[in-house]
Amino acid sequence: MRLRRVPAASLTMERPLLSSILEVRAVEKAFGRTRALRGAEFSIAPGEVHGLLGANGAGKSTLSKIISGHIARDKGEIVWRGAPLEHASTREALDAGITMVMQETSLAPHLSVLENIFLPELGRPGLLSYRRMRSRAEDLLGSLGVGETLPLDRTVEKLSSAQRQLVEIAKALALNSDLIIFDEPTTSLSPIEVERLFEIMDRLRGQGRALAFVSHRLEEVFAITDRVTVMREGRTVASGVETASLSQTELIRLMVGQDIGAVYDTRSQAKDQDLEPILEVRNLCSAPLVRNVSFSVRPGEIVGLGGLVGAGRSETLEAIFGLRPRQRGELRLAGRPFEPHRPSDAVRAGLGFVAEDRRAQGIVPDFSVRENLLIGHLGAHRGFGLNYASRTKDIDNLLRRLDLPSERLLDANMLAFSGGMQQKIIIGRWLLLKPKVLLLDEPTKGVDIGTRASIYSILREIAAEGMGIVVVSSDFDEMLGLCDRIVVMSDGLSLADLPADILDEEKLTLLAAPRTSMERMSRTLRELADVVDGAAFWVLVDGERICCLDAAVTNAAADPGFRAGSMPSIEECHVRTALGSPAGDFVQEPNGTLQTLIVPVRSQRGHDMGVIGITLDGRASAPASEPIRTRVQALFASHT
Amino acid sequence: MGLLALVLAVILSFLSPYFLTTNNILNLLDQSVVVGIVAIGMTFVILTGGIDLSVGSVAGLTGVVLGLALQQFSIPVSIGLAILAGAGIGLFSGVLVGRFGLASFVVTLGMMAIGRSLAYIFSGATSITNLPSNLNDIVYSSFLGLPANVLALLVLYAAAWGYLTYTKGGRTIYAVGSNREAARTAGLNVTLYNIVPYVVSGALAAVAITFSSAQIMSIDPLAGTGLELDAIAAVVIGGASLFGGRGSLIGTLIGVFIMVMIRNGLNLMGVSPFWQGSAVGGIIIAAVLIERIMSGRAGR
Repeated sequence: MRLRRVPAASLTMERPLLSSILEVRAVEKAFGRTRALRGAEFSIAPGEVHGLLGANGAGKSTLSKIISGHIARDKGEIVWRGAPLEHASTREALDAGITMVMQETSLAPHLSVLENIFLPELGRPGLLSYRRMRSRAEDLLGSLGVGETLPLDRTVEKLSSAQRQLVEIAKALALNSDLIIFDEPTTSLSPIEVERLFEIMDRLRGQGRALAFVSHRLEEVFAITDRVTVMREGRTVASGVETASLSQTELIRLMVGQDIGAVYDTRSQAKDQDLEPILEVRNLCSAPLVRNVSFSVRPGEIVGLGGLVGAGRSETLEAIFGLRPRQRGELRLAGRPFEPHRPSDAVRAGLGFVAEDRRAQGIVPDFSVRENLLIGHLGAHRGFGLNYASRTKDIDNLLRRLDLPSERLLDANMLAFSGGMQQKIIIGRWLLLKPKVLLLDEPTKGVDIGTRASIYSILREIAAEGMGIVVVSSDFDEMLGLCDRIVVMSDGLSLADLPADILDEEKLTLLAAPRTSMERMSRTLRELADVVDGAAFWVLVDGERICCLDAAVTNAAADPGFRAGSMPSIEECHVRTALGSPAGDFVQEPNGTLQTLIVPVRSQRGHDMGVIGITLDGRASAPASEPIRTRVQALFASHT
Repeated sequence: MGLLALVLAVILSFLSPYFLTTNNILNLLDQSVVVGIVAIGMTFVILTGGIDLSVGSVAGLTGVVLGLALQQFSIPVSIGLAILAGAGIGLFSGVLVGRFGLASFVVTLGMMAIGRSLAYIFSGATSITNLPSNLNDIVYSSFLGLPANVLALLVLYAAAWGYLTYTKGGRTIYAVGSNREAARTAGLNVTLYNIVPYVVSGALAAVAITFSSAQIMSIDPLAGTGLELDAIAAVVIGGASLFGGRGSLIGTLIGVFIMVMIRNGLNLMGVSPFWQGSAVGGIIIAAVLIERIMSGRAGR
């Protein structure tokens, strides 16, 4: 994982050191038997962006919801502008000037964008002025850079998840609050949209507002926050530390309480490339979210489907498992055609599926742990009776393997156990059937770090025994640590299929950007290619390799030889000389076939966004490079 | 619930010396037959998280079917036709609920009106009384010292309990009510086993009305009115959750006994029958309250 450091200038604005606007002291909260918070501390000052960090289940979302009045605390104290805060509802929190941008969107799907932005207004007495609301909404969306692509009258259910997230942000901005909590606002945004959001946060910080930024994406934390507070297992373990004083390793150690190296096992040896795939997916289409997905999994391989929320990854797994109708595409399991119409077909053919939402799709709450383990067996079983007895021995072995205590477990209720335990039981449900391929959707969501490590090692172990594994995860770090290969998905398309060890979080993020938000970039490249009658491409250069984000070819004679999603080494590229030369003028390849101009590009906030290349037929006369460079940079800046 | 039934029985035996006589106990069992059989089907439906409001009307309608069939066919064939009719109506409701996802409350509410209306039409709105005299053998012949109808009640409970506990279908019914999505994801046939309970419920409504008709040797299109409420009450008193997934047939049987005992006890003590509704209603609310307190889990 590499970090994009922000130029110091944009961080060190003239900020007078103010005292805290909000102080959270020793807050505790329990949900049933789960103690989500056991001593949370947090303080934030006006004019700062304060990172609130922690691994999954550390309690950062719970704390945010308590501050913003969504849930009530059990114990502890919150001081807001010097006075104790005792709000009982979000309404009171809003009136006090505290807003939260929710992680799981809290929009009303049947209302329009405009109505959603001003939803909180509906709770206030008095009449609404649609005309005033409309013009304010236009300003807000304009400042988010989506004024033209997000019609105010469209109902929210028709929006993509990135667009919904933007509406959610606009809704918070409309309230003009003094404290805005952003709870993982970037999970479904493209890098360009993230840049835009950071710009706005910069501006709000300049206006003296307090911004809390909840995230587990470290590079974003380093890019935008001034100070960080780190939580672990419901406690604050570091409070208000200057971001600049921390290294990434230190931050990770604070978050997980151990070195991350121990969490992921070493990747197993290189997989036998000659093995026949155990699962093949070709041109899978399951409207509306899965449009064209192809990939394959060999025995012993862990393949990740990477991408942003809303890219169609979960839906791909569901379509393969027979939970969603498929319109097109071919599935092959162990070499044989496979057409599941319902999950029982998939289960009997040798597939297992650990769904994302454990409570909704995994746990049968009124069944004991034993029967929850056996329910997959029940699904595969064809007889009239239960035939549970045939599995007794398998269950004993399985529990030993999963490191679960059988005697106090089997007859107990599932809900009495932690998320990590529950997840192990759900995974165990499928392992009991010895499937050929196991599909897992967000396997470590809400799972504590200790159990995560053991889930990873179980997955590695069963892969080593020849099972094929497909993982969907929004945690890019987890994807890179766990998977052998990553299939990058965006807007329902599989774009790239790359070995995990040549990827990092940054490349994955850029590759996974939704096509809709990259569309203007594609158009720009096409325009450039047309103007010069050649090709234009956008790549990240990383040592010996490039990562192509997009490419447009007008003249086949000027084809640089790579396309969006490919990651060739520079040596393999047709334009290797140009890529290896310092930027400047058009560079001719030694064989004279191609000439290329390389223009480095940066976002408005100064981030390195890779290079744009313009390739021409080597025999054509090169136009002057300076006007083209200026034009490219201007186009790029206006699009980010 | 078993404890409550026991306490109730002890109290009643003190209040009325007649309560614990063999005659009265047989009388109690006899009074339990009709509601008890319908409550089996109701338990199946409620376990999936649904409700069947149509059982009373289905009983009325299948009773009329039985009466008309007896004019032409033998007794076994006629009973078979009545049960088939009940199962068919249940299948219709079940498919609408399980396959097309309609709310069971609404579907069976509609079926309740249709069933009663058809019962009037087919019977010409009059009672059918010219029944073969040996029809009441199915009630009064005795085996092992028990009247046939009581024996049938117990056998049906044992069979249904075995089905719910020891078969794939039975466990699937529980799983559908507890978490339909999880059951589907695990590969269970949730559509089929969402339909089966309505079929069972319809068929058992016909079985119940057969015993009731044989006992009074008369079939009235109004028969079975209010039966659905008694059956639901028995299931709820028996500890089942109306959200599905939780409940047992043993609980339901005890629920039936509790209701019958209260009615019987109040009768024996000479309390005005108008108080029976208040007593049964109070027990229902208390049962639900107890269930909620006992299962005071978060999020449920």
